[in-house]
Amino acid sequence: MFNYIVRRLIYSVFILIGVIGITFFLDNMMMTPDQKASRVLGPKAVGQTREEWIHNRGLDRPLPVQFVQYVKKLVTFDFGTTWVTGRDLRETFLQGVGPSLCITVPGFLAALLASLGLALFQVFVRNSPVDRGLTVFSVALMSVPTMVYVIFAQAFLALNLRYFPAYGFAYEPGMLRFLLLPIVIFMLINIGYDARLYRAIFLEEIGQDYVRTAYAKGVSPSRVLAVHVFKNGLIALITLVVAQLPKLILGSLLIESLFGIPGIGSMLVQAIQTGDQPIVMVSVFLGSALYLLSLIVTDILYALADPRIRLS
Amino acid sequence: MSDGGGGMIPSALPGRDRSVPVLHFAFILSGLLFLAGCDNNPHPAPYHKTRPDGSPWAVRYMGLPADPKSFDPQFVYTTIDQQILEPVYDKLLEYDPRKTDPITLRAAMLEEMPKKEVQPDGTVSYLCRLKRDIHYHDDPCFERTGGKGREVVVADVHYALQRIADPKVESPFFAPLEQRIIGLHETREMGMKTGKFDYATPVSGFEQIDSHTFRLHLKGPYPQILYWLGMHTMSPVAREAVEYYDGQMHDGKLRPSFRFYAVGHGPFRMREYIPRRAIRYERFEGYHTDTFPTEGFPPERAEVCKKYAGKPLPLFDELFIMIVPELIPGFVLGRQGFLDSITATKDAFPSVVTPDRQLQPKYKARGMTLERIGFPSTFYYCFNMNDPVVGKNVKLRKALASACDMRAYVEIFYSGVAPVSNQLVPRGIYGYNPDYVDPNAFDLEKAKRLLAEAGYPGGRDAKTGEQLVITVNDAVEGTEMRQRAEYEQRMFERLGIKIKIAESTFARVIERLETGDFQLSSGSGWAADYPDPENFFMLFYSKNMPREGSNHCRYSRPEFDRAFEQMSTMDNGPERLALIEKMNAMLAEDCPVIWQFDKVTFLAAQPWAAWTHNSRMIEYSNNKYHQVDPVLREKLRAEWNRQPIWPLFALGGLLIGGLGYAVRWNRRNHV
Repeated sequence: MFNYIVRRLIYSVFILIGVIGITFFLDNMMMTPDQKASRVLGPKAVGQTREEWIHNRGLDRPLPVQFVQYVKKLVTFDFGTTWVTGRDLRETFLQGVGPSLCITVPGFLAALLASLGLALFQVFVRNSPVDRGLTVFSVALMSVPTMVYVIFAQAFLALNLRYFPAYGFAYEPGMLRFLLLPIVIFMLINIGYDARLYRAIFLEEIGQDYVRTAYAKGVSPSRVLAVHVFKNGLIALITLVVAQLPKLILGSLLIESLFGIPGIGSMLVQAIQTGDQPIVMVSVFLGSALYLLSLIVTDILYALADPRIRLS
Repeated sequence: MSDGGGGMIPSALPGRDRSVPVLHFAFILSGLLFLAGCDNNPHPAPYHKTRPDGSPWAVRYMGLPADPKSFDPQFVYTTIDQQILEPVYDKLLEYDPRKTDPITLRAAMLEEMPKKEVQPDGTVSYLCRLKRDIHYHDDPCFERTGGKGREVVVADVHYALQRIADPKVESPFFAPLEQRIIGLHETREMGMKTGKFDYATPVSGFEQIDSHTFRLHLKGPYPQILYWLGMHTMSPVAREAVEYYDGQMHDGKLRPSFRFYAVGHGPFRMREYIPRRAIRYERFEGYHTDTFPTEGFPPERAEVCKKYAGKPLPLFDELFIMIVPELIPGFVLGRQGFLDSITATKDAFPSVVTPDRQLQPKYKARGMTLERIGFPSTFYYCFNMNDPVVGKNVKLRKALASACDMRAYVEIFYSGVAPVSNQLVPRGIYGYNPDYVDPNAFDLEKAKRLLAEAGYPGGRDAKTGEQLVITVNDAVEGTEMRQRAEYEQRMFERLGIKIKIAESTFARVIERLETGDFQLSSGSGWAADYPDPENFFMLFYSKNMPREGSNHCRYSRPEFDRAFEQMSTMDNGPERLALIEKMNAMLAEDCPVIWQFDKVTFLAAQPWAAWTHNSRMIEYSNNKYHQVDPVLREKLRAEWNRQPIWPLFALGGLLIGGLGYAVRWNRRNHV
């Protein structure tokens, strides 16, 4: 297994350099240094001001030199500063992780539990009208755009019923009031898709020989589901769940922006709007690195959970 | 995908424990109680509840659409940054809160308006006297005084000027000011000899007479320098603060960088900056630079203003600026009374303002008042005068201008709010002529006639018979922008010509304007840096072509240049007005642009925060003159935010009913 992990890590480094290269060259193809300066400084900044800005950021150097410097910075985790505010990027990201996790972790766990429960229940009553009704419900949850949930929450629950603040965030004892709506929406947008997927996985399991054996031995249907099917289905779930973990750290673009949660998601939206390219590039780098890491972790967990699988 | 195979497995809900419904009921009840206890106020508790004299602590709540780029006065340049800096740093001069037509400067940190002195060699100097006893806010950076803010002196103004020359500060104002202030360019050159800017190098054009008097020497006449003194760029800065807040670790503690730490001398001191969330300020007790004016109030505000005449400033104790980039939440917070005003953005406009530009009755009934803020700016279509088709054919340009129905355009896309523009200088700026009639204004029949005279009868080339095709450079970043582009296309195509829309991003549109790769560009505009006609006419000065300036039309007429050079260095008066009229006539004759509209913002102020002043140069600013009635706010907020109980009972009933039904169904089917 050790050899496998080392090999995967080496592959990941090459993939990561590929991602960095593609994003770097795409970025430079899409916008000239002059356009970048104009985007950040505004159209009124002309001539010398713009030239100085370009020079100070090394954007007037040859592209290969810029690329080498850029890679050097990323691999040493010296992300530099943002273009728009000049703040330290590492600090900016660290500040954003907390608020993002406040939404995504509870939302993810709640969605996981709810969708697992829903999927198990659907398997329990499979092929019945209730199962079909819940499938339609899951599809409906998947199909409604996030924006509709947000508008409903803000217009009905925040503006008309006045139960929650429409916007804002604070680290304080009563912070749950800011988080509840975003968490519920995060949960709702994931629940439909997850429940459908988990249902399929559990249905796959319930047709296995060991399930028939369990019934033959007189195990109750609920115990078969809760213990045997659930446990064996979890192996397949590991892949799906671990692959979602990087997304939790990177936050939710729309929900964070619309509810004023100062996480990484809303920071990325703001960076795209203002042309703060270092934030976008570092987000892509971190996203790719975390995703590659999660794939390795998934493989390891898979091997640990299922003794039939050997990593070689 | 397998469906499980085998036959139906007998279903049963797990467990038949009677305690389950009770537990569910308790869970639902606790959830409902939690909801009932939820407070919808997004703001943290104010710093204090009462003032030392026992009167209620007054907080002003503002919303801004973006995070600040910096708190460094010599660096900031956007409107938002200036709004954020304005409570902390006073300026040498400021815009008179009572006068908006025309917008007028008055002394702020200076004793009086600077005195102009013309030297025999043609250079011009301004003698300025700082007010005495203006102090910086208390801060640990003032180590010599044990953290007590020291007095603001002339050396601080000089230091601010040196910082503009320091390349590390990246001040966008160096380029325009080095052309005007004697020695500023040389200071940068000499200061950078060692590679790092040396602050021992003085600016030769800055003469320190005593600790509170200085003279600013200019290369020649430049009356607009007064407007620069009215910006944060020239605001005095304490060297101790810049050096202390270096963004480095000291004794195990990280000090913020000066770019994000404000040590000012304004009416408020900044207490907290929480990136992308809020900025909090508290009244500076030692502020006595200014008091509320005692006379000259605009008649419509006289009643409110008289109450505060002569009172010390600021009028409230705490300022809370919330960063709200999204429109819907900003509107909701305003409706609930958590922001002191509602900005009537395009989407919110019909629900706030009636078609006859009055406040909607429901807001009027709340006691709110409507503010109309006309920010001095002009938008226009820009012709490329170097283009072989439109650039060389004045009648064609005039035909296109006359085909432009801006009234209909504004009605559709700006709810009829933005005033249609007919000249370069916008309302409120010296040189605006309310009686001016644009000879190229909308007239479709005239447009068709001019097009024929231009050599394109019915939109076709008289020689070849080919349809005339014109490409419009348009920023299309969303549905509304696409609708605008389509409308523009239809508007011009009424002449029989073919319009091709070159859709691109805003950045690409700007790039095309700068490189000259366009025929006709939509949505160009200019917002005043300072309220002087020179700031607008420079857009057509031939020496301001890209990349050195913003003459994107590439308009060049020696006669215009001469008039501009003369007008730009003149003081206001009949001679200057005559030159402005002459230049307006030249622009109408050559038609390098098609005027569109000026920018106007509507804002509904809460009943506890009626405005005491006008402000046009910095929207929503002049915080020190604002008033807030915290008692009224508390009362109305409580009234407006009562949480209805019935939905909780309805929800609870629904859940309990559903649960009961499920339990009964289960028992009936499986027991």
